[in-house]
Amino acid sequence: MKRQIMLVAAGALAFTGTQSAAVSADREVHVAGFGAKSGVVRSFGVNTEAVMRAAAEKINKEGGIKLGDGTKGKVVVTFYDDRCKAEEGISVVRRIASGKAVVAIGPTCSNVAEPLFGVLQKKAGDASDTGLQFPIFTDTAIKGGLAKISEWAFRNVPNESQMYQSLFKWVKKTNPGFKSVFGGVEEDFAHSRFTWYQVMEKRAAEAGFEVKGRVKWLLNDTNFTTQVRQMKKAKADVISISSHPFTLCGVLKEMKRQRVKYKMLIGLTSSSSMETLRGCSRQAAGIIIPTSYAPVTPAAKEAAAGAAKYNGSADLHSAAAWENMFILKSVIEKTGVMAKADTVQADRRKIRDGLAALKSTGGLIGGIQRTKEGEAVKPYVYVHAQGKEWKILHDPRK
Amino acid sequence: MDDFTWGLVQIVGVHTILGLSAYVILLTGQVSMAQAGFVAIGAYVAGMLTVLAEWHIIPSMITGGLAAAVLACIVGFPALRVRGLMLVVATIAFGEFVRLFWFNFDYRIAKGDIIVGPEGGEGFKQIRFFPENGWTTQDVAAFIWIVAAIILATLWWMDRSRAGKVLRAVGEDEMAAQSVGINLTVVKVSAFTAGGFIAGIAGALYAHYTTHIEHLNFDILMATFAIAYPILGGLANVWGTLFAAIFIQVIVIEVLRDLGDVRNLMFGALIILVMNFLPRGLFSAQVVRKLREWTGLGKTSDA
Repeated sequence: MKRQIMLVAAGALAFTGTQSAAVSADREVHVAGFGAKSGVVRSFGVNTEAVMRAAAEKINKEGGIKLGDGTKGKVVVTFYDDRCKAEEGISVVRRIASGKAVVAIGPTCSNVAEPLFGVLQKKAGDASDTGLQFPIFTDTAIKGGLAKISEWAFRNVPNESQMYQSLFKWVKKTNPGFKSVFGGVEEDFAHSRFTWYQVMEKRAAEAGFEVKGRVKWLLNDTNFTTQVRQMKKAKADVISISSHPFTLCGVLKEMKRQRVKYKMLIGLTSSSSMETLRGCSRQAAGIIIPTSYAPVTPAAKEAAAGAAKYNGSADLHSAAAWENMFILKSVIEKTGVMAKADTVQADRRKIRDGLAALKSTGGLIGGIQRTKEGEAVKPYVYVHAQGKEWKILHDPRK
Repeated sequence: MDDFTWGLVQIVGVHTILGLSAYVILLTGQVSMAQAGFVAIGAYVAGMLTVLAEWHIIPSMITGGLAAAVLACIVGFPALRVRGLMLVVATIAFGEFVRLFWFNFDYRIAKGDIIVGPEGGEGFKQIRFFPENGWTTQDVAAFIWIVAAIILATLWWMDRSRAGKVLRAVGEDEMAAQSVGINLTVVKVSAFTAGGFIAGIAGALYAHYTTHIEHLNFDILMATFAIAYPILGGLANVWGTLFAAIFIQVIVIEVLRDLGDVRNLMFGALIILVMNFLPRGLFSAQVVRKLREWTGLGKTSDA
């Protein structure tokens, strides 16, 4: 009898324990994601969704998010495809904002982020501005300086200006014999264009390199013969290419075919992804790219494994979605979000204020600083392509 | 209705106007792929007027439309010397010329502590007339639909007037129309100019509800959408274009959003199916006649 009582008591305790750790069944914290899941840049959305779902699974397994009244809420992720089109991105966010979501992570394309942030209210609480009052926490759209468009927009993307400044200085320091740089730019894509003209070209010159010129191509181009011929003619020591994996691989293959000689190859942050290695690992061998993500810490490895479970991959862009989910968990817990049907707009405001108040957050490869414009200053490393992997070449923090 | 639905109402309104801009030209039997170019002109001109010159949206929109119309008229003369496939190629070339013009166009001025204006490939941001002037999503939707209704009513009235009959006569048989004294060039250039004006209006509205425009918004895909609406809906009357814009934007784009790339395939398949099985569109004169007979709404139009 005594044994039976003990068993029942143990069972009751276990049940109570499960109940306290488990997520409250009737409280859900809706977090929406959106980005391109179709078209040539579909991998961005596919990876972000996979990472968001993996992060949500981990949060829920660990008991969910503590809400303002002390109960625990389960994170529910929904993801929408905006096809990398501005008009559709705006429509998707209006759809999200008309529902239960308290915050959204996205978009994946800068050409969607820029108009979308313009649709948001510029200054939070400005009654004369009828813009949308909904917090957006961007993981992927990386074009410089976009969060300042609206006080409802926040980003957790790396600061490319800082990354390339550091990279070119490091290249000059470690290879003083390298004198010149020649560029290649995917001219019609907001991010790659911005990064060449506003970042790579300027930072290379500042580091003491002679910028011998640049060649241009378009996102949908498939023939790069003329551009690569010009590249070959320039005989530069360093070739710096600001383009996404799709055209980067085309250019690298053409460079191989024309036997272009160079001493060092530098790539765009967005190309430090599996797409590049799947498309042209042999031709990309040795390309150096600064990135804010590499599976070098247990947390980063966990994010990579989680993404793989949901048929995606963690990279420079999508890994930020993992960080965003945990930053949001912390903000929701700190600001006392209630996650009730009648508190949705108040919860959104709390999350916005919470994100605006952040000075620093945790990150997958190190601490992240937050700026007052809603941007992030993330740690980064230089990786280079070796076989089917991105390997760390240098950690500027060391 | 929630904010999302009102936003969708805005999109459908602008796309209806875009479709109507191609409808006028299609009536004369011409296929114009230049509509995206005219939309771009309207968008940039109206955007510059509200942001840089601080004009109200209405005069800005009309000026944007007129700028597009003037260019359509100028381009109309040489472009209409060619027919059929050659006209398609010529208008695609024009559309690309306009897109690349804005791609290279940089005109920015300081406005307070920020610099605003078109910035070439970076685009033209902060076209925020609506939110900065207290217009709600409903207000914007209502405004867009007032404009769309005016254009629909004007084209509907034109269809029933002599002007409409002249346009259709040219579209049906140029030789026959010429033989009864219709000046083909005047008719075609007039249709082109009207189509340019309407596209410019659509561009002005587009720029202001998206708040940011860049050259890539006005690519061949937009031109394809412009002619797809009247082709799908049919040229029997303006309602076909309206129906097609609602169908594409609400069903194909929004309701089927989760289908990803399949949506793009469906859009293409739909055009192919309609062109093969319903060459005169979903709302052809025969269908409209039957609908009227079934619903008892009187005699058929002479469309």
